[in-house]
Order: sequence, then structure tokens, then C-alpha cells
Amino acid sequence: MTEAAGTPATSRPYSSAVERSSYGPAPANLADILERVLDKGIIIAGDIKVNLLDIELLTIKIRLLIVSVDKAAEMGIDWWRNDPMLSSSEQGLADENRQLRRRLEELEAGSGGDTADD
Amino acid sequence: MTESQLERGRYLFAFARGLDQARLEGVLGLRGAPLEVVEHRDLQAVVCSVDLEEFGEAQLKEHLEDMEWLEDVARTHHDVVHAVSEAGAVAPMRLVTICSDDVSVRGRIESLYPQLSEALSRVEGRREWSVKVYATRPAPPETVDAGRPVSGAAYLQRKREQAAQRRSTGDEHLREADEIHQTLARSVVATRVLQPQDPRLTGRADTMILNGAYLVPMEETDGFRAVVSRLAELNPTLEIELNGPWPPYSFATLE
Repeated sequence: MTEAAGTPATSRPYSSAVERSSYGPAPANLADILERVLDKGIIIAGDIKVNLLDIELLTIKIRLLIVSVDKAAEMGIDWWRNDPMLSSSEQGLADENRQLRRRLEELEAGSGGDTADD
Repeated sequence: MTESQLERGRYLFAFARGLDQARLEGVLGLRGAPLEVVEHRDLQAVVCSVDLEEFGEAQLKEHLEDMEWLEDVARTHHDVVHAVSEAGAVAPMRLVTICSDDVSVRGRIESLYPQLSEALSRVEGRREWSVKVYATRPAPPETVDAGRPVSGAAYLQRKREQAAQRRSTGDEHLREADEIHQTLARSVVATRVLQPQDPRLTGRADTMILNGAYLVPMEETDGFRAVVSRLAELNPTLEIELNGPWPPYSFATLE
């Protein structure tokens, strides 16, 4: 639906309320479809067994794969390992703590500065 | 025939009630297979035949890892479910639900009949709308890196301040998202809050602070749109994206 064009338009480059149809000229966003057809709806076991755990792991992989289809060149293959959305947020904190401790040691040893990465 | 039957399965797209089958004319199932309707009691299952060479257990395990295969099947699944939603009350199936034959499909309807009927009643005449809210205000600037801090303590202090700023921005987003969700919830039948999508998935830098699904009676669509527009006006620093109507995926669930 392209009703956004018909709503009271703002003069900004894009309108605040953007309306898109899930079925119309523009195909629905794949991520929106996948989060619904994989996680919602009627979930029953068919005669062909699909492991639920596999499916849940799959949704994590989807994040990786959707991105890799579009932007394979831009990203490392394992970016999701450090994604706080996917892994526990402790991971980020632990990393930062480790970096802080290292910086502190460097500074206190008087060797901080040009060799440190940040 | 026995041999070929063993190689075919019945892929379930959706259960329906009051299905106007004429409205499914021209809609194809997977791999160009015609849609078929399996009836039991007052419910219908919309199915198509699939080749177990492609949709068998071992094959599915592999194919589900293949993004192109997954996208293709997911889009066909969605297209069929959408067509069914235009032709009757619909309860969409989760992707790749496959039974061996129509007897098995009817058996599923029989054993789940009360829950399926209830799910269909819950969504009949209603549609799902997706509302995503993005924070478009500029992220708090990283503290200007004015050279190396003079001491470890100053460095830690700076890190602490940055963390506090990130936290307070995050808190504000949570509050804004919650207010918007509550306002929308007051004008709909039911809501589901989905996981906000990762920026790398949405392909945009703005942080998604709300990914909500709202069940709206079809005759109240305009009113719901108006509420969303008003919220957009009231929140100029946010971008509110309305997307739909979707078949009621998030609400046609078994309790």
C-alpha cells in the first residue's frame, strides 16, 4: 500500500508514520515473514518430523544468513557470536572489563599510549 | 500407487473456517502444485502435495539451512496463507508442517478441533498489523576522544560516563516504546510484543525500540491507522512504521 503518499505529508525526507502493505506492490520484508512463519501460527507435529530445537537455532542462523546474502563482503562470518542481541549481554561486559583491566595495567606500568588499541 | 504415495506428503498451509474456495483459484502451492482443500467437520485444511525427495526429514534439515530455499518456501507459504485469509477465517500453520496423507490431516483436525475452533473465532474478521518504532534521534555522541586520558582513573571515569549515558538513553527508549504500545493496546483486540529486530537485519542504523503485533477488527482499520498517525505526530523523534494487514500469524495460536 502506498498510502504514505496520501497521508498528510511532512516536509521531511520521510514521513514519521510510514505505511507499507505486507502484500501489495512491494513484497513483504523477509525478516517480517520469517519471524511469523517460524515462530507463530499453529504449531503442531506433522508426520514429517522437524526438530523444534533445530528451528530455534535456525532463527539465529537466519540473522546471520539474511545479512550474509546482502552484505557478505562487509562482515565477518561470526559477527553474531558477539552480538548482544543473540549472545548473553554478559559477553560484552566481560570483553569491556578485560579491555579495561588491560588498559589499566598498561597505564599503571607507564606503557600506555601509542600501542594501546581502543 | 502405493510407491508414489510414499514419496508424497501433504504440506499444510493453514486451517480455515468458512472458506470460499473460489477465491483460491489461480493460487499455487509449493513448486507449482495446485492447492487442495481437505474438509473435516466445519473446518478446512489448505494443503498441497510435496515431494518427500525435497520435503522429507533428512532433506528438510539440510534445506532449512539454505537461505534461498527457505526464502522461497517462506514466501510461497505466506502468499498462500494471505490468499486464504482473504477467503475465510484463517489459522496459519508454522512453516513446513507436513502430514503423510489426508487421513492424517483429518486426524489432526479431529484431535485439535476445540482449540482450532477457538483460535479461528479469536481471529475471525480481524487482521494483524505490525507497528515498528525506531529511535531516529542521533545517538549520544561518543565522548570526544581528547587524546589519551591522563590516568587510569580518568579513563575508567570516562567509560563509566559513557555507560551511564547509554543506559539512560536505553531507559528512555523503553519508556517511549511502552507508552506507544499501551496506547495502541487500548484500541485493539489483542497484542503481542515481538523481539525488536537487529539493525543488521533491518538494514538501518536506527534502533528498533518496539516490534509490536496488533489484532484489529477489519472495520476498525481506519481508526487504528489514525491512532498510529497521531502517535507519529506526538513523537517527532521516533519513526513509526505501520505494516499490514497481515494474516493473524501472531494470534492464531493454540492455547
